[in-house]
Amino acid sequence: MNNVIKIMIYTMRDQMRHKSFYVLLGLSILFILMIRGCYDGGYTVNGKMVDTATVAWHVSKIVFHLIAAGMFLMVSMLSMKIFSRDHGDGSTVLFLSRSVFRWQYVLGRVTGTWALCLVFMFILHLTIFLTVWVKTGTVISGYLTASLVCSINLLFVIACVCFLSLFMPDFISALFTMGILFVGFISDGGYQIINSDIVRSAVPSSTNWGPALWRVVYPKVFMLQAYADAIISRSEFHNMGPVHPLLNLSLFILLIMILMLVCFNRKEIG
Amino acid sequence: MIILDSVTKKFGAFAAVDNVSYSIQKGETFALLGPNGAGKTTIVRMLLDFIKPSSGSITINGRPASDPESRRHIGYVAEQHMIPPYLSGFEYLSRHASLIGLSGNDAAKEVDRVLKIVAMKEPQRKKSATYSRGMQQRIGLGAALLGQPSLLILDEPITGLDPIGIREVRKILENLHGKGVTVILNSHLLSEVEKTCETAAILYKGKILIKDTITSIVKDHETLEDVFVRYIEHENE
Repeated sequence: MNNVIKIMIYTMRDQMRHKSFYVLLGLSILFILMIRGCYDGGYTVNGKMVDTATVAWHVSKIVFHLIAAGMFLMVSMLSMKIFSRDHGDGSTVLFLSRSVFRWQYVLGRVTGTWALCLVFMFILHLTIFLTVWVKTGTVISGYLTASLVCSINLLFVIACVCFLSLFMPDFISALFTMGILFVGFISDGGYQIINSDIVRSAVPSSTNWGPALWRVVYPKVFMLQAYADAIISRSEFHNMGPVHPLLNLSLFILLIMILMLVCFNRKEIG
Repeated sequence: MIILDSVTKKFGAFAAVDNVSYSIQKGETFALLGPNGAGKTTIVRMLLDFIKPSSGSITINGRPASDPESRRHIGYVAEQHMIPPYLSGFEYLSRHASLIGLSGNDAAKEVDRVLKIVAMKEPQRKKSATYSRGMQQRIGLGAALLGQPSLLILDEPITGLDPIGIREVRKILENLHGKGVTVILNSHLLSEVEKTCETAAILYKGKILIKDTITSIVKDHETLEDVFVRYIEHENE
């Protein structure tokens, strides 16, 4: 078996041994149990009964994004200590004293964490999907596809946190990455609001000015989230600039991974 | 065969290893001696490509040390061998076995074999966080012995071991020597080096003062310790 796959499997096992993983697992289960109630009752808006399926659909969309946001925190926590913990507990020496290339080690660690979080997030989304189906009989097509699309965001966060953790304290690297996401949230969120049907109809000239270049090339984490939303809603997706967020993030991930491999290759071990 | 050719390693302006050249033949049991900070561990780390030389080259069996393939048949025990605390000794050894290409029954048999060699059978399933320093060192030695390595690099392997453990390590090294395994041993315990090694180099402030067979280095009525102290004191004058 290839060394990358071996290290990836070890990483998944190792991550599942840490307390933080079980804390997050417990919180996720609690969250799912809590929102189950939203699908049970009847809802009245302005004295009119609202269709249960409509409520379920809206709730599921909100929950979709809440799960994704929670996963950002989870992947940051799981990935910020990868290199420092490995350095401290002898795992780096374990792998690199064998015929393992450094890029194999880095790639194995990153993809292992990603695979674990991807499965974790997919299971959470799948649980919502099944809950809606069982309780209301509604199948939200695109829900699971959107979950897989959002997993690219997780890979970006993991790559970013791991890369930054080579230069700065673990917690600061996670915080810095959250800062990057927050700036994107403001920039892309603003763009989505300006391009929303309500604002467009109210202020027709609102979309006359194009966004600044930095906003166009900025990591499109929030925009990918909006794209996933559009998949679930089957609505029009308003992209910022000519590059699709999937391609934008893929390029950023590639760039960060290359930089990380170059930097890790120069790192002194032991 | 291991060749160090004009190897220098600088940390800033400080030269931890200064223009060192020597070769170690296949099957040789070689000791790197020197006081603390002499550059012994730096050389070991360069052999394993944990750090890169500032200049010069290191070749292991015809391959540059930077090529991971050169480590395919190397077993390594660190000075303070660390095992991830969430792994048991058995799991740790199984990972090593997997990384050298063993799987399934072959891996399990090999792990069992080395556990017997390092006399660690009982606590292997417990998490390594509960291990004593000596137990961690034994597991580290076991990992180094997996897959019949052709080169064994031991950085202070007997640190933390009790006298019985030290004797067992000596027996293991004698046994490996009989099988033609090349051994590089970093140690402060000169009496042990004298018993187990054929050749030695004395390193001081990153430079090699002498490299020869132990029998040539140690003159009549002297011990290796006497020679070592004589060389270091001479350099300090």
